[in-house]
Amino acid sequence: MIGNDIVDLALAQKESNWQRKGFLDKIFTQKEQSLIKNAINSELMVWNLWTRKEAAYKIYNRETGIRAYIPLQLECFFETENQGTVGCNGFTYYTQTQISEEFIYTIAVTNKLHFDQINKINFETNILKKDGIPFISNTSSKLVKPVSITNHGRFWEGIVL
Amino acid sequence: MEKEIIIEQLKEIIKPYVQEKEAFEALTEHTDFINDLKINSANLVDVILDIEEKYDIVIDNESMERMLNVKAAIEIISTKLADKI
Repeated sequence: MIGNDIVDLALAQKESNWQRKGFLDKIFTQKEQSLIKNAINSELMVWNLWTRKEAAYKIYNRETGIRAYIPLQLECFFETENQGTVGCNGFTYYTQTQISEEFIYTIAVTNKLHFDQINKINFETNILKKDGIPFISNTSSKLVKPVSITNHGRFWEGIVL
Repeated sequence: MEKEIIIEQLKEIIKPYVQEKEAFEALTEHTDFINDLKINSANLVDVILDIEEKYDIVIDNESMERMLNVKAAIEIISTKLADKI
């Protein structure tokens, strides 16, 4: 299973005031908050960790069928700024994060080997939905593949396993 | 507090974060913050903080987990307000 999440950094700056009182406490554990506090660029760390949680949550939601607002239960284990894991109620998800001037983009997988098997899909791809979960279906082989899509501001990313 | 009053106050709170104006105009108890109103999941924290400030209540983690639609928000606000008295 796969999940992805992108943050348009310019839009995030407009939409969110992460320095607002109580904001970090509601969504980041103490350990994560210390990563944010000690980071060279705290704002980048906020969205780096946030995209990890969101990408991991997409898998958690699909695999368990549980829909809930649980950012504190999705705990980031930060290895480097580009990789780590997210734990949630006994599940572990692997994450890879891309950082640019304009965006932060994280892909989460249940199996590390899947990172090499993921393909990008484009905006024109015919994406179907079942119970709110997107997938694509190959008309000739009838093979169904799960997809994950994310968009924020100027950016749209879709992946398929 | 009357449910209708809470809904009106809630609408004022969520308005700045709503991206689907039509769904907002047609808001009912069953309206979903993320699926229907397209409120960004990072802004859901702001909704929760705004509710805490407006009603001077604390929304604990268990309540926050359910805070995905109008119905749950009303229930949580009503319960927390009743606990205050």
